[in-house]
Amino acid sequence: MTTVDSGRTESAVTPITPIAPVEQINLIIDGFEVTVPKGTLVIRAAEQLGIQIPRFCDHPLLAPVGACRQCLVDIEINGRAFPKPQASCTIPVENGMIVKTQLTSEVAQKAQEGVMELLLVNHPLDCPVCDKGGECPLQNQAMSTGQSESRFEGTKRKFEKPVNISSQVLLDRERCILCARCTRFSEEIAGDAFISLNERGALQQVGIYEKDPFESYFSGNTVQICPVGALTGSAYRFRSRPFDLVSTPSVCEHCASGCSLRTDVRRNKTLRRLAGDDSNVNEEWNCDKGRWAFQYTMAKDRIANPLIRENGQLREASWPEALAAAAAGLKDKRTGVLVGGRSTVEDAYGYAKFARVALNTNDIDFRSRPHSQEETDFLAAHVVGSKVNYQDIDTADHVVLVGFEPEEESPIIFLRIRKQVQKRALEVTAVTPYLSRGFKKLNAKAVLTTPGQEATALNGLSLTSKSIIISGERLAELAGGLSAVVKLANKSGAKIAWVPRRAGERGAIEVGAIGNLLPGGRPVSDATARVDLAAAWGVDSLPAEIGKNADQILAAANAGQLEALVIGGVDPFDMQQPPVNALEKTFIVSLEMRPSAITEFADVIFPIAAVTEKSGSFMSWAGTSRSFEKAAPDAEHRSDAYVLSILSDAMGTPINLTGSKAAAKEIAAVGSWDGARATFTATQAKNLHEGVILATWRHLLDNGSLQANEPNLAGTARKNLARVSAKFANELGVKNGDLVTVSTDRGSLALPIEVSEILDGVIWLPRNGVGAESLRILGALNGDGVRVRKGI
Amino acid sequence: MSYDEKTNGQMDAIIARYPRSRSAIMPMLHLIQSRDGFVTPTGIEFISEKLGLTTAEVYAVATFYSQYKRKPVGEYHVGVCTNTLCAVMGGDAIFAGLKDHLGVGNDEVTNDGKISVEHIECNAACDYAPVVMVNWEFFDNQTVESAKTLVDDLRSGKNPAPTRGANKVSTFKETSELLAGFNDGHAEEGVQAGPATLLGLKIAKEMGAQL
Ligand code: SF4
Ligand code: SF4
Ligand code: FES
Ligand code: FES
Repeated sequence: MTTVDSGRTESAVTPITPIAPVEQINLIIDGFEVTVPKGTLVIRAAEQLGIQIPRFCDHPLLAPVGACRQCLVDIEINGRAFPKPQASCTIPVENGMIVKTQLTSEVAQKAQEGVMELLLVNHPLDCPVCDKGGECPLQNQAMSTGQSESRFEGTKRKFEKPVNISSQVLLDRERCILCARCTRFSEEIAGDAFISLNERGALQQVGIYEKDPFESYFSGNTVQICPVGALTGSAYRFRSRPFDLVSTPSVCEHCASGCSLRTDVRRNKTLRRLAGDDSNVNEEWNCDKGRWAFQYTMAKDRIANPLIRENGQLREASWPEALAAAAAGLKDKRTGVLVGGRSTVEDAYGYAKFARVALNTNDIDFRSRPHSQEETDFLAAHVVGSKVNYQDIDTADHVVLVGFEPEEESPIIFLRIRKQVQKRALEVTAVTPYLSRGFKKLNAKAVLTTPGQEATALNGLSLTSKSIIISGERLAELAGGLSAVVKLANKSGAKIAWVPRRAGERGAIEVGAIGNLLPGGRPVSDATARVDLAAAWGVDSLPAEIGKNADQILAAANAGQLEALVIGGVDPFDMQQPPVNALEKTFIVSLEMRPSAITEFADVIFPIAAVTEKSGSFMSWAGTSRSFEKAAPDAEHRSDAYVLSILSDAMGTPINLTGSKAAAKEIAAVGSWDGARATFTATQAKNLHEGVILATWRHLLDNGSLQANEPNLAGTARKNLARVSAKFANELGVKNGDLVTVSTDRGSLALPIEVSEILDGVIWLPRNGVGAESLRILGALNGDGVRVRKGI
Repeated sequence: MSYDEKTNGQMDAIIARYPRSRSAIMPMLHLIQSRDGFVTPTGIEFISEKLGLTTAEVYAVATFYSQYKRKPVGEYHVGVCTNTLCAVMGGDAIFAGLKDHLGVGNDEVTNDGKISVEHIECNAACDYAPVVMVNWEFFDNQTVESAKTLVDDLRSGKNPAPTRGANKVSTFKETSELLAGFNDGHAEEGVQAGPATLLGLKIAKEMGAQL
C-alpha cells in the first residue's frame, strides 16, 4: 500500500518520451547544462534538472496556453535577453538559451511573487472548508512563492456558490484562478466543449450554457486537474481531508479499457477514486463511471454471512454449515458453471479450475450476455493470447470499428483514438447502423450498415497490415460478423482487436472460464494440452468433452440434463432469455455481493469480496494484465477463488487456492499454451428479419448493477431515446420528442424519438437505460425484427 | 428555434464568407441582434446548431464582447465615452446628466423602449472628445446640454444627423444588420476624418513636409 500525492500538478518530473529520433537542444537553466529534444518547453526542460517552476495552467497533456502567468522566468538567447520575464510553459527550448528561474533570478522571483499576489487578491480564504485543502497546488505554491502577509485591503470578488454545472460537478467560481485547464481538457481531450470561459475582465468565469449541463462522460477529470478547489465532485464534497485518506493504486472494474485508478479509503470506506497515471493505457484520464461508480461496494444490503434455503426461505448459516450444504447439493450432480464477465483473472481461474477438478466438467462460460458458437470459435482462434494494444492505435494507419461504439463501450479506447485523430488525422471507419455523437467526435467515416450485413460492409474495405479492426462483443449477435472480420484481416494483414464491455471477460478467456479452452489458452480438444494441464494441477485427467456455452448450459438445466449450477456475478436479465425455469429447477450455489435475481433462486449463497476488498488483476482488452492490491485494509470478505477453494475441500476434490495471490502464482506457473491454436470456420450471415430492424447498445451510464446508489452520476446519463431516420419518422408521422412504441412478442417499450443519422428501416434503442431496459423488456438483439408504432 | 427565410439566407451567406465556418460566429451574433434586438437564447442555440459548435462555445463569445447585448436595448443605444480623455473633457458629466435626464441607469432602457445609455470605452475619436455614439454613429464635441437635446430629438422621432459618417442614425436593429456585414447603402456618406483629425497633417504640409 502506498500513499500517492494528488493529481499530477505538484509532481516534479514528467518523463519525456521522444517518438522518433529528434534533434537535441542544449541550453542552460540556473547554471546547469541540459539537453532535451527539440520542441520541449522550458518548464519541462527545467523538470529534467529537478528544478520546479511554479505553475497552474500548464499540464503536460494539454496544449500550452500561458493563461496563469505563474511560471515566469528570465530568458536570454545568444546574448539577447527578453525584455521581460516569459512564461516558461509556452516557450520551446532553443540552442544557446540561458534560463534563470526563481532560483537564480531576482527578477523572475519577483515576477512570480507578483503574479501570486494578484491571484490571491480574489481568492477566498476558503482552505479550511475547501476539498482541495491539503493537496492544493495553489495552497502549496502560495507557501513556496507567495508572501505570508496580504497587502490587499479591498473587498474580494464574490459569487453565489456553488453552481451545479451538472449533477456531479460543482463550481465555486470565486475559487477559480482562470487557468482554463478544465475548459481545455473538455475541448481538447474529451471533445465536449460544454464548459467555457464566459464574460470578461473581473467578471470572467467558467460556466455552462444554462440549458446544457456539463454532461460529459469525462467530466470528473476536470475536478482532478483543477489546481484549486473550484471544481468539486458532489459525491466527495465536504467528505474528507486528503491527509485522512489512505491511497492505494488500483484498477477499474467497470470496463475492458483497463484504467489505472487510485482508491482513497478512510476507515475502510472508499471515499473517492481518481484516475491513475499510466501513459500506456489511460494516460492521466478516466471516465466518470470508473471515478464515481463505487457506492455499490458499500451498499447496505451487502450479503454478510452465508445463506442457505430452508423450506423456501433463506436463512443465515455458519460457513461450515453452508459449505456442507453446498457440497452435499453438488455431490455427484451434473453441474454447470456461470462466471459472469466481472470476475478478476484470479477468480475466473478459480471457477475454471473448480469446474474441471471439483465438478469434472467443461460446462463453464463467462458470457452472461448474448453470445454464439461463432464467437466461441473466434475467441479461441483469434483472441486468446493475442496482444493488440493502445500503442498500436498510436501507430495505426486506419482503425475500423464494428459492433463497437468506443465512447459508450470502452471510453479510454475512445480517448486514445480521438487523440490520434486530433494529432494526425487518423482514419477511422465506423461500420454501424447509427452514426452516434461519439463516432462524429472521431471524425469517423460511416459505413451505415443494417445490423446483420456487417460482412458486406467489411468486405468492401481495403486495409493494410498497419490497420486495426476493433470489434465489440455485440458483433456476436450478428451472424457472420466476426467471420467477416477474420476474412478482412486475413486478406489485408490488419490486426484484430476484440473489446468486450466487462472488465473480466478477456481475463476469463485466458484462464479457461469457457467451454472450449483450458487455462493458458489450451484447447480442450487437444489431448496433449489436457495432459499438460492435468500434470500441472496434479490430477489424473481432465474432462475431454467440449463444454457447453451459457445458453446451452441453461437449456440443459431446463431440460433436466444439468442438475446444479454454480453462479457468480451474473445478471440473468443480461441474457436474451432470462433463464427463470432453469433456475427454478436446479440446485444453485451462488457467490454474490448483494441480493440479485440469481440469489432469489439460490439454495446456498456465499458472500464475496468487492474489488476494493481483495487483491487481483484484470486483463484489459489489449491482453495486458492490470494488477491491484487490496484497498480497504480491514475488509473481511474473501475472494471467489478462496470460497471456491474451501468449497472444493468440502467436496473432497481440492483446488488449493488460498486466495488471489495463490491463484496468480499458479496462473503464472501453469503458463500459456504454445501449441497450435484452434482453427476458425467462418459462419454465414443470416437473412434479414422481417419488419423494422433493431440496433442497440448500452450507454456507458445505465441500469448496470455496479452503478447502484450513485444518483449524482446517474444524473448525467444520456436520455433514453429511440433513434430513427428522418424518412422513417415521417412515415411514422412523428417528430422529435414524440413517443413511439416498440414491441416484440415478449413486451413493448415506449420512448420519445430523436431523428438521427441512422439507416431507414432501423430503430436504435438503449439496451439497458434506467426505465428503458430494452433487452430485458423486448428480448430483442441487434438485427432482430421489431414492430414500431406511433404513440403509446 | 427558427428564423425567417431571409434571415436563414443571410446566415448562410455569412458562413460562406469564411474558410472555417466557426469564424462566422461574430457577424451571426450581430444578425441575431438585428432580428431579436439582443442575443437571445434562441439565437445562441441557432448559431450553435448551424456551426456545429456547442452552445457553451457560442455563449462564451457572446458574453465576451460588450457589443453583444443579453437583454433588450433601446431603439437608439446611446454610448457615452467615459475613458480618460472624454471623461475629463466632460464625458462623466454627460453620462451622469443623461442618466438623470432619462431616469435610467447604465445599460438600462427608457420605458418607451426608445433610448438606452451605456458608458463605453475609447472609440478612437479622442480628438473630438467628449464623444457620444448613437448606435455606433459619432456625435462629436458634446456637452451635457447637446447630449440631452440629442436624446430628446431621437425620442420624438427627429433624426439628428451624426457629425461624421452616415447622414442618418439607423435603429439598433438596422445597425446590427450592417455590422453583420450587409451594406445599408450609407457607406459613402459624410466624412470619416474631420478637421481635428487632419489638423496635424495640414500643419505639416504648411511647413513643407513632403508627404
Ligand atoms: S475551474 Fe479550476 S480548472 Fe477551471 S479555470 Fe478555474 S481554476 Fe482552472
Ligand atoms: S474507461 Fe473503463 S476502465 Fe477506465 S474508468 Fe471508465 S469504466 Fe473504468
Ligand atoms: S503555467 Fe505558465 S502561464 Fe500558467
Ligand atoms: S477617450 Fe473617448 S474617444 Fe478616446
